[in-house]
Amino acid sequence: MSRARTLLGAVALATLALSLSACEVKNKTDNAAANQAGPPAGGPPPLPPYQMRAQIGDGDRLKPSATGEALFSNHCGACHLAAGMGTNLITAQQVAAGQPPEKGLLVNRDDLTADYVKAVVRNGKLAMPRQTRVDITDAELDKVAAFLGKGK
Amino acid sequence: MKLTLPPGLSPQNFDAAVKALQGAVGADWVMTTDQDRDAYADIYAPGPETLWGSSGAVAPQSVEEIQAVVKIANQYKLPLWTVARGKNLGYGTAAPRMPGCMVLDLGRMNKIHELDATLGYAVLEPGVGFIDLYEEIQRRKLPLMMSVPGNGWGSVLGNALDHGIGYTPYGLHATKLCGMEVVLGTGDLVRTGLGAMEKNHAWNLFPFGYGPTWDLMFSQSNLGIVTKAGLWIMPEPETSLELVFDIPNAEDIGWVVDTLTPLKLRGVVDQSIFIPSWLGKMVIKGQRKDFWDKPSAIPDWRVAELLKEHKLGYWQVALRLYGDENIVKAQAEVVKAAFKKNLAIPPIENWWRQGDPTHVMDTTLGVPSAIPLQMGDWVGGRSAHMGFSPVVPATGAHVLGQMKRSRKIISDHDVDFYASFTIGGRFCNNVNMLMYDRDKPEQIETMKKLFDALIVDAKASGYGEYRTHLGWMDGVMDTYDFNDHAFRKMNEKVKDALDPNGILSPGKQGIWPTAYAGQRGKALA
Repeated sequence: MSRARTLLGAVALATLALSLSACEVKNKTDNAAANQAGPPAGGPPPLPPYQMRAQIGDGDRLKPSATGEALFSNHCGACHLAAGMGTNLITAQQVAAGQPPEKGLLVNRDDLTADYVKAVVRNGKLAMPRQTRVDITDAELDKVAAFLGKGK
Repeated sequence: MKLTLPPGLSPQNFDAAVKALQGAVGADWVMTTDQDRDAYADIYAPGPETLWGSSGAVAPQSVEEIQAVVKIANQYKLPLWTVARGKNLGYGTAAPRMPGCMVLDLGRMNKIHELDATLGYAVLEPGVGFIDLYEEIQRRKLPLMMSVPGNGWGSVLGNALDHGIGYTPYGLHATKLCGMEVVLGTGDLVRTGLGAMEKNHAWNLFPFGYGPTWDLMFSQSNLGIVTKAGLWIMPEPETSLELVFDIPNAEDIGWVVDTLTPLKLRGVVDQSIFIPSWLGKMVIKGQRKDFWDKPSAIPDWRVAELLKEHKLGYWQVALRLYGDENIVKAQAEVVKAAFKKNLAIPPIENWWRQGDPTHVMDTTLGVPSAIPLQMGDWVGGRSAHMGFSPVVPATGAHVLGQMKRSRKIISDHDVDFYASFTIGGRFCNNVNMLMYDRDKPEQIETMKKLFDALIVDAKASGYGEYRTHLGWMDGVMDTYDFNDHAFRKMNEKVKDALDPNGILSPGKQGIWPTAYAGQRGKALA
């Protein structure tokens, strides 16, 4: 089990975004005291606040006018913003693969291609469920894929 | 996934129905490619996804479009399977009970019609997710605190209508529904409660109607399509205090429940009190293989080691009080005195006051999150879960009895025991989480056998499930057998009367219309 502890230790130290163990944090932190004094020394970092997603207007979802960045935030943000479920899982994968933890956020990745993004969104991958065309339309996905697809 | 036609529908008539639907909602919102059918499949299916395969999906954006869809469905005998946002993970996701149904996806019906902080209620369409509602409340800076379930990705109304539970004083979500607008199987539009009166001001405030009160007949139901509903939301409390008790041993759950239930019934504690076992804390610390590298269940000696290593009790009660500071302080003293009789270590106390920040996992403060779904990663691969969820009286004797029996059965199947009890009042919802890798058929077979054994055992002992996966909907309905299944028969009479062609969600919760009665007992897990 020592390998497990080492890996977990590395991960826990790595990032705010990987503060998975909410209960530990909550148990050690009186919110009011923490606000005045900052987090206790030596403990895991506090969990970040809820991340608001970008708001998208009521326009035609088949011809979206919002940017790829806004569409990503709105349609993928439930899991892929800071400390989201998807971010937490990908951070662990990236760290295990020797990448820095900030690569857990899809916006920080430079190895994704637009086609890969589209394939994962429609086919799912590991914990990620397939997304329907009501979850994200093809036109919205085109813009999101173009935004995330910085790889070659 | 290849096209599965519903029983009795020819390919020609299916094509004609699809064309008619395209005319009603627009071609882009009728989704019938193989890829679309995959997207609407049950990604957690215990077995082949095709067992519960749809023929496609249709996504209307208005009540009028829903009525048009229902008219077409009746004309062509195309059965529909209604979902709000289709995120009912563990219970079938968006997939239909009967193969070949067209999924009626209400995800585009996502308007928030009213959001009233004075009286604490909202009027919502089914496509509004917990995250959507939470963000709207934050943007408008309204002093309201939602109750959210473990999976905050789904629909507010969908969860309430499926009897989902949360962790605040408003945690019994179905009881907070007030006033519904419903399209029936005939296409007729009705409003329940005081909404039966045109322009009634108290529609979403008074819990009854004039005459019989029907609202909850549309919950866990195939008797209508809820197009909007009122939902009460708790006024944001001045303060909240979390008291965290780590409970050392499995058997301690008996005295814990006997301590908490009287406090709940006396109103000292208002919330639905969630008590997860240790595995609920471990699943977010890593993967199973990091802690136990064999496929067999984690043995008791290793559990004891893990609890020690990670400073966990077998159970954790993270109880929350909500209200004015003086009242919360007084309540806390009563709670602490009650626990002191059995537990020497005082609880950890976490205060929150209005205006304090909340973090991404403050589900008991109404922050929606999908992070609890991370538990699936515990088993790795394409992970999935189901919950075996009997309801037991909220006494130590009943809770201990249920725990001992289910724990033994789960152990006999060589599966890890991961349970929670949520005290919602005079009862506990006992959820036994069963996690598996969808690419390991032997794991799925074990889970299915285990699930069957748990249902049979609970029924024999006088307990039933409150909710279940598609593959067991008939089986669990069978356990409700008083007077030769009189309850199911009554439901089926109502079903035939309101929906003569049986086109709305046939088989939902084991209720079959005459039109598809031949499908009962088919497509089981």
